[in-house]
Amino acid sequence: MKNTIVILLLATIGYYLGTIFFGIGFGDAHFANGVKDTYLALTTSELKVANTVTSIVVNFRGFDTLGEVTVLFLAATALGGILYKKRHAVGERTVLFPASSIVKSGAKLIFPAIVLLGAYVFIHGHLSPGGGFQGGTIIATGFLLMLLAYDNFSVNHNVLSFIESFAGIFFVAFGLAGLLISGTFLENFMPVGTMNDLFSGGVIPIIYILVGFKVAAELTGVIYTVLHEKD
Amino acid sequence: MEILEIIGGILILIGSAFLFLGALGILRMPDVYNRLQAGTKATTLGAMSLIIGVGFLEPSWMMKSIIIVVFIAFSNPISSHALARAMYKRKRYPIIKSEDKDMDAYIEVFQQEEEEVKS
Repeated sequence: MKNTIVILLLATIGYYLGTIFFGIGFGDAHFANGVKDTYLALTTSELKVANTVTSIVVNFRGFDTLGEVTVLFLAATALGGILYKKRHAVGERTVLFPASSIVKSGAKLIFPAIVLLGAYVFIHGHLSPGGGFQGGTIIATGFLLMLLAYDNFSVNHNVLSFIESFAGIFFVAFGLAGLLISGTFLENFMPVGTMNDLFSGGVIPIIYILVGFKVAAELTGVIYTVLHEKD
Repeated sequence: MEILEIIGGILILIGSAFLFLGALGILRMPDVYNRLQAGTKATTLGAMSLIIGVGFLEPSWMMKSIIIVVFIAFSNPISSHALARAMYKRKRYPIIKSEDKDMDAYIEVFQQEEEEVKS
């Protein structure tokens, strides 16, 4: 009896999903021309953004980006939760051999340059290749270098989670502001300026800077948690 | 203008030759230390001269390429030092074919240090 009901329910859901999917018509002229041309035209005419990928990721598909950021946040949080009981205290992880003084002073020299490069990549996300995710990852590699070179280097988890929450809240706040002012979630509501300027593209650079901070904080937290795992 | 292009082309050619030799060395050499020696030295010089050559071809990029060269000059030797040191600490000594020759001059010093640390 129970099995029959389950099979009937699944069949109903499957029928309706199937009708929806078969009604879409992948590969039609609508898909071949419509969306792509609209994006390419609006990127240069309306948004004045040099990097089309950025305009699609942050503006046309901004909701998906919010989802990606949320997925990353959930993954980082779940990793921290799983490894919480197996972690070392701060500055007490086991290192096979401490790094040599050459590596230590070199890491100290290069670390600011890596952070600067990451910041450059996510601030210029709307002008050149790169963006929030890439820049945040570069900054996290800088922290990985410091963690590998100095076995007592530690990052403040309160600061990390503050940055994460701050960036996430402001991402959603900008989306809601777009909803209130322009009528659509994550719609651009600020002046776009002229193309190829640093201050152009409306909310796109602001959101990418927030994404950069969020990704950098999350990945640094992930690296820190994994390195402090007890065996 | 012409001279700058010629200098840039020659530098890029030198850089590509060194990078090719470095890649060949990594394929050909028998153990980690020889491969590091081939890889690091050849790729450091190769990448530096290639990037400076690009700066000569496109003079407005010269400042950026100098910054990249400085970054390579810092990072490449340090990373290969860390690799070689890690291999040595994990007791992967160089491959020695003839038995009467001791190629590792520091092996006794290192073992003494290790015993001192243990005791």
